[in-house]
Amino acid sequence: MNGWILAATVVLAGGGAAVLWGVTSGPMSRRVVAQNLATSVACPALLLLAQGYDRPAYVDLALLMALLGPIGTLVFARLLAVDLAGDRPRAGRESPACRANDGNFASGPAAWGPTWAAAALGAGVVVAVCVATGPGRAMVKLLVTGALLIGGNVIASRALSGGFEGVRGG
Amino acid sequence: MADAVIVVALLLVAGSATAAVAVRDPARQALVLSVLGVALAVLFTVLQAPDVGLSQLAVGSALTPLLIMLAVRKVRRCGRTGDETR
Amino acid sequence: MSRRLRLWLLAVGGAGVTALLVAAGLDLPSFGGPSHPYGDRAVRASLARHTANTIASVNFDQRAYDTLGEMGILFAAVLGCVVLLRQARDEHRAEPEPAEVARPVRRYALIVLPVALVTGIYVVAHGQLSPGGGFQGGVVAATALHLLYLGADYRALERVRPIGLFEASDALAVCAYLVLGLTGVLAGTAFLANTLLPYGTFNTLASGGIVPLLNAAVGVEVASAVVVLLAGFLDQAVEIEEQQGS
Repeated sequence: MNGWILAATVVLAGGGAAVLWGVTSGPMSRRVVAQNLATSVACPALLLLAQGYDRPAYVDLALLMALLGPIGTLVFARLLAVDLAGDRPRAGRESPACRANDGNFASGPAAWGPTWAAAALGAGVVVAVCVATGPGRAMVKLLVTGALLIGGNVIASRALSGGFEGVRGG
Repeated sequence: MADAVIVVALLLVAGSATAAVAVRDPARQALVLSVLGVALAVLFTVLQAPDVGLSQLAVGSALTPLLIMLAVRKVRRCGRTGDETR
Repeated sequence: MSRRLRLWLLAVGGAGVTALLVAAGLDLPSFGGPSHPYGDRAVRASLARHTANTIASVNFDQRAYDTLGEMGILFAAVLGCVVLLRQARDEHRAEPEPAEVARPVRRYALIVLPVALVTGIYVVAHGQLSPGGGFQGGVVAATALHLLYLGADYRALERVRPIGLFEASDALAVCAYLVLGLTGVLAGTAFLANTLLPYGTFNTLASGGIVPLLNAAVGVEVASAVVVLLAGFLDQAVEIEEQQGS
């Protein structure tokens, strides 16, 4: 049991409990934000586990989760657009989402707090694992995974807070 | 002590599976099933089965929610047009 | 039988099953112990055939016949869905409504689509080296294609997805798997025997003999099957409506 696996356990325990609580209670806006958070918590945990078990092959799992997780959130953002329209996850005043929409948000829980926290966690874990791996092809794969994870997380949150306003039946 | 991460993963799977059964509305159930898929993928990884974890991830993160949500949409549309013709 | 009696019966049966399960569970060998008779033999055979990923060796070399059955199951399931979800006589196709998607989401979808497609092909091609293989990579590639629906709208997806082509490639991939198996018979050994290609250099792309070829066949089959399956669901959910007043 080394530090990497311990860190992964802490991330999984804390993040997992938050995600479970968010996805089973509250309005629909909180539930979809929690589903988005699940990807952003599990992917850094997988990277930490790959480093802790000393198996670089497990980074493939993190790469695919960073790719497919945001796509799963986009599925919900698009196909629940009507449900979410009356119950929008509230964007912060300084976020770009507020400028694009005319501010008709219902008072839901703030979505961008968890998003930026998860992005920071992902960035920190990717930097730590890159430092431990050293330059080479493996580091390129880690950086691609990190970029997909953080970019996907931010775009999925953007989609949840008003990205599909004009979608009705399609 | 590597058992601690296995215990955490098992608890997450048990919790999300129970929640998936307890939530009754299909759209909300789809959200919980997506979380259950992620928890299962993590469980398979800590049990040193990455191939199975990759299969679970590929199927459970985008494909299964898409199938469930499309079925929910179809049922809602049929219900709506049924009300309009009445 | 009254409800109370049924619940009592359930409780008694459940208690019995629980007792037996606990007794059996306590008798199981502990996780991660040193005794793995099947695992030792499987790993030894996989390394002898220069396949780095033992799971791929078991799936596509030692038990390739079982994988043929699994591919057949997926093919039959998709066939059943296509039959069930086809347009019936009292239904008609409505134009899918155009969608207004936010520009960051659209740009993300258009950037990630080729990345995900390449990742899917990478997972299929490296099946004999790292975790993954035909099934996982095929599902990823098919999901990547549907980013066009999620990020734009259904008409954009329909333009790049000629359904007949995908149905044909599904069937052709199953046939390819069978033909690769028959080469073993023609060479004088057994069906799906790993004698077609040399085993190659360990831990490189050209290793494992027939494993990469079977991986490719399964990858194409799964990707096409998932696209056809989702096409049936999408048509029903987005386009097909019941005839009004018929």
